[in-house]
Amino acid sequence: MSNKGNNGRNGSNGNHAVDSEPVLRIRDLRKTYMQGKIPVHALDGVSFDVKKGELLSIVGPSGSGKSTLLSMIGLLDRPTDGSVFIDDVEITKAKESEAPRIRREKIGFVFQHFNLLATLTAMENVDIAMRFTGTSKNRRKERAFELLTMVGLGDRVKHKPSELSGGQQQRVAIARALANEPAILLADEPTGAVDTKTREVIVDLLKGLSEKGQTIIVVTHDMDVARQTDRIITMRDGMIASDTGVKGNEGQGL
Amino acid sequence: MFDLIFRSMTQRKMRTGLTIFGIALGIFAVVVMGGMSEHFNLMVDNTFELIGNGIQIEPDTIGGLGSLDESKIRQVERVPGVSDAYGILITSLDPEGVSTGMDEIIVGVLPEKQLEAKLTSGRYLVPGDGYKAVVGSDIARKYNLKVGDELEIKRKNLQRSSSITHKKNVSVVGIMEYTGSFFDNRIQIPLDKVQKFYKMENIVSFIYAEYSPDADPTELAKRIDLSVDKVKSTTPEQQRKDIEGQLMIFSLITISAAVLAAIIGGLSVMNTMLMSVSERTKEFGLLKALGAERKNILFMTMGEAALMGVIGGISGIVAGGIITNLLNKSFEAQGTALFSITPRLVVIGLLFAISLGIICGTYPAYRATKMSPMEALRYE
Repeated sequence: MSNKGNNGRNGSNGNHAVDSEPVLRIRDLRKTYMQGKIPVHALDGVSFDVKKGELLSIVGPSGSGKSTLLSMIGLLDRPTDGSVFIDDVEITKAKESEAPRIRREKIGFVFQHFNLLATLTAMENVDIAMRFTGTSKNRRKERAFELLTMVGLGDRVKHKPSELSGGQQQRVAIARALANEPAILLADEPTGAVDTKTREVIVDLLKGLSEKGQTIIVVTHDMDVARQTDRIITMRDGMIASDTGVKGNEGQGL
Repeated sequence: MFDLIFRSMTQRKMRTGLTIFGIALGIFAVVVMGGMSEHFNLMVDNTFELIGNGIQIEPDTIGGLGSLDESKIRQVERVPGVSDAYGILITSLDPEGVSTGMDEIIVGVLPEKQLEAKLTSGRYLVPGDGYKAVVGSDIARKYNLKVGDELEIKRKNLQRSSSITHKKNVSVVGIMEYTGSFFDNRIQIPLDKVQKFYKMENIVSFIYAEYSPDADPTELAKRIDLSVDKVKSTTPEQQRKDIEGQLMIFSLITISAAVLAAIIGGLSVMNTMLMSVSERTKEFGLLKALGAERKNILFMTMGEAALMGVIGGISGIVAGGIITNLLNKSFEAQGTALFSITPRLVVIGLLFAISLGIICGTYPAYRATKMSPMEALRYE
């Protein structure tokens, strides 16, 4: 399984988290919601870098801002202030009309509840992510099959989500997220809706992808998951409370 | 993308089916009602085609009812500008029937002024003909008449009598081609014989005044009204306008009933699409997260609405076509058709159905594009 889109910069490095230009740079990101007349600072000056191939987990209690952070990176929401750069492009400056293109080219989403389309087969669920890119039908089919085989579902391509277990559905969702070779895979509680055994399968899959050079950010409540990642960012009150990837710099932004 | 639209429609078979049925019913109404008014329009057009130009002079009574004395023909002829004038006498074939305007009518004509429609068999009337008739195609079919056959005409005694008192056979000498006009229901018999049989000597229903091409018919009609007592003249143009005005009202009533039905069909599309969109909040949110553009989502939702419109429209047109055809067939035995499904009507029906689908799909589609991927995906 090659990662065609990113080959150029990865080189022949054995270590998957390479010391190169970061894929993702976040600078002083702020998001303020108005709850009635009281401003709520969901993000209050968050800055960090993510290198290519890194498997990063973001943890923290509910309301600490981790989901908000994820939606800013995924361009699902706009910050009040600050910047997000993916591959040196400031996506937070992108026009609304460019957002769909950035989402499909740079980001792959994995959700807690899989969010597969119930009426489509596993194959079609992966295929649908490539429809908006103008990829030919044959190529899409080929690629979908390739990805489903990679996540271990080569024999389940014709199955509908209702005929798949939770773990299998999440693997279809991961295959779908990878379809357009995104710069970053964003996983929001990917193991939140599966049992512990399945959880390991999912985490192993994500680790494997990271070793092949895929940058992955996982938002999770589950410290058992977080501990298996290369780096843990802990959020509290919209700020980074600790970051295992930055030596001697814990608590930046406080 | 079409497969996704298709999938969404077949996923909710019952609802899609009912919606399409609603549209089909509306378009069916448009086709049937429209077919009826188209038929009358065609009849009027064809009728005027055959009549040619002549100022029509009728008694100056409400609706032109009553009759004119033949002496008025001479008076009309003397009006400067009139090149020729002649009368016709009109009476119903069935004196006991209720006149509907569509029934079979005997026209007493001068043989030299008879209708110039083509004959399928036989000959025209000639001066000196006795009780002879040239009949329209519907009459010939209804009574199964061939040249040489006899057709019975009846008269009631005008005073006190409630039953037929006189009968006479006229022999058919000619049968007209189908003209698609009111003349298909006409029986032409020499004027003098009609006057004699119906005891209406020296009486005509209408007088027609012909005029030279350089004369102004409007001016001439006024002049006739002034020179001849108690008559009302209408130019060919005015006659056409009068009838078209009446047809317009008829069309308006039928078409608006049909459009109402179709709009109800359209509202059912809107309702279906709104339900479908709110049911698929997560789906559209997901598609946006996957990088779908607004236009992709618009295409999916409006495409679904338009497709329901097309299918409903085609079904409605086909059903309308079949039903009107069957009705025409059953009326044909009686000599009349009631509906004309013109190409124009088919195109209008289809466009109407599609635009109904698209218009009623616009708002739901807009709602679909507004789905926030965040809101759509956060909760199960």
